[in-house]
Amino acid sequence: MAALLELRGVHAGYGRLAVLHGVSIDVQAGELVAVLGPNGAGKSTLLRTISRFEATLSAGSVRFDGRDLAARTPEAIVRDGLLHVPEGRQLFAGLSVDDNLRLGGYTRPRAGLEQAVADTYARFPMLAERRSQEAFSLSGGEQQMLAIARALIARPRLLMLDEPSTGLAPQIVEGIFELVRDLKRAGTAVLLVEQNAYLTLKNADRAYVLENGSIALAGSAAELARDERVQAIYLGGAADEAGE
Amino acid sequence: MLQQLLQLVLAGLTVGSGYALVALGIHIILRATRVINFAQGEFVILGGLLAYTAVSACHLSVLVALPLATAAGFAIGLLFERLVIRPAERSGELTATIATIGTVYVLLYGHALIWGSLPQPLPFFSGGDRDVVWHAGGVEIAAQQIWVVGLLAAALAALWFFFERTTYGKAIRAAADNPLGARLVGIDVDRARAISVAIAIALAAFGGTIIGPITLVGGAAGVAISIKGFVGAIVGGLDSPIGCTLGGLFVGVLEQLLEAPFSYGIADPVVYSLLLAMLLVRPQGLLGSRRAVRD
Repeated sequence: MAALLELRGVHAGYGRLAVLHGVSIDVQAGELVAVLGPNGAGKSTLLRTISRFEATLSAGSVRFDGRDLAARTPEAIVRDGLLHVPEGRQLFAGLSVDDNLRLGGYTRPRAGLEQAVADTYARFPMLAERRSQEAFSLSGGEQQMLAIARALIARPRLLMLDEPSTGLAPQIVEGIFELVRDLKRAGTAVLLVEQNAYLTLKNADRAYVLENGSIALAGSAAELARDERVQAIYLGGAADEAGE
Repeated sequence: MLQQLLQLVLAGLTVGSGYALVALGIHIILRATRVINFAQGEFVILGGLLAYTAVSACHLSVLVALPLATAAGFAIGLLFERLVIRPAERSGELTATIATIGTVYVLLYGHALIWGSLPQPLPFFSGGDRDVVWHAGGVEIAAQQIWVVGLLAAALAALWFFFERTTYGKAIRAAADNPLGARLVGIDVDRARAISVAIAIALAAFGGTIIGPITLVGGAAGVAISIKGFVGAIVGGLDSPIGCTLGGLFVGVLEQLLEAPFSYGIADPVVYSLLLAMLLVRPQGLLGSRRAVRD
């Protein structure tokens, strides 16, 4: 079976700055795949290359559902069901929570949108309470939830999350992982870039370790969690960072 | 005395409606593209001249010419975005803003080539060559003044409905608020910008046609219309559509009140000084937010 997302020998970066040097990864339908790695390894660039969000592909191929994404506009990629929640969230700060959510459904047919909005408010009660507030007035955790909820309204087949837990309280981080588990149960594939290696490996099916723009390690999450290098660098590091 | 004052305020609101439409157009384009369009007033003139041609050469009613000129403004706005703003913006917003100043003179001399350099008359919406005038308590109310203020209100209502109540209107606001975020939800940001500019130029053409019967259309009036609309936008607040509307009306009224008692020539210096004073003292405008200035 062909993978839902398939990267082969991807070289990418920003203008003349090359960040990724021949990265190949797969995500199967319904799979939760994590990307770990130190800062500057190219994790965010990987996601940005896939969604064609600022980073540009210079060699190799990115295929989603069998289609070559290099030939598709960023809008068409969203329509295909590939959604990206980047670092910084990119909400519409001056628009209401409700408008933010509804614009998440911009590419889907109007029929069913009302139901999807109602379902979202049932799932995220704190967004329902703030529905008429402007998005910039939300707390960091609420903004992260709104960014994820806005992407979910588009009914993704693959959701890419870039460090969703960074800077958030442990309770909210747990909520985000619970949401990711729910998505997996519902059959949505997730490509997760995270600092929190412990929670990530506990929840993921498989993981890649990215170092200096190349894949250094790959395997099932369980295998990687037992790997000595991963334990020393990421799980140890995660424990150190837990106090932050 | 009171009648005289009312008379001047009414005249000011009529002229000010044109400035309000210019200010709104500048606001819409600035929101969408971060470019200040100094050619907005020239598009007012162009709209009026197109309506003039529809009436004088095609023998259409001015009430038919109005939607035609507005639609033509929309199409011209799409071209203006594609041929001037978008390519110039690649070298930065300042380049694009200067390109709009270049556009002023291309249009100014272009109009003179096609229509001559003298202003042309447009028929009044009720009554043709001579406007219908009512007398109410010593104040003369011309039908065209009612048309102008009423059509401004209709245009504002249509804009409000589009931007606040329709999905595409909200998508355009989202694309202006955060272009990267808009791409993430699948909004075509380039198209949203093009539509925004087209709406602004359509508003200008609409304004030129409704004001035209009072002011005549053509000649070199466009630059002053641009700057006075801009003053209105700065006074009210560039980032506030309500501020832009009220600011434009305010400039129109101020101009009339100054001109009558102090003779011609005092209004313009005062209005332009107001621009400087506002920029120095309260750059966000009376109804704008501080955030807009920092952005």
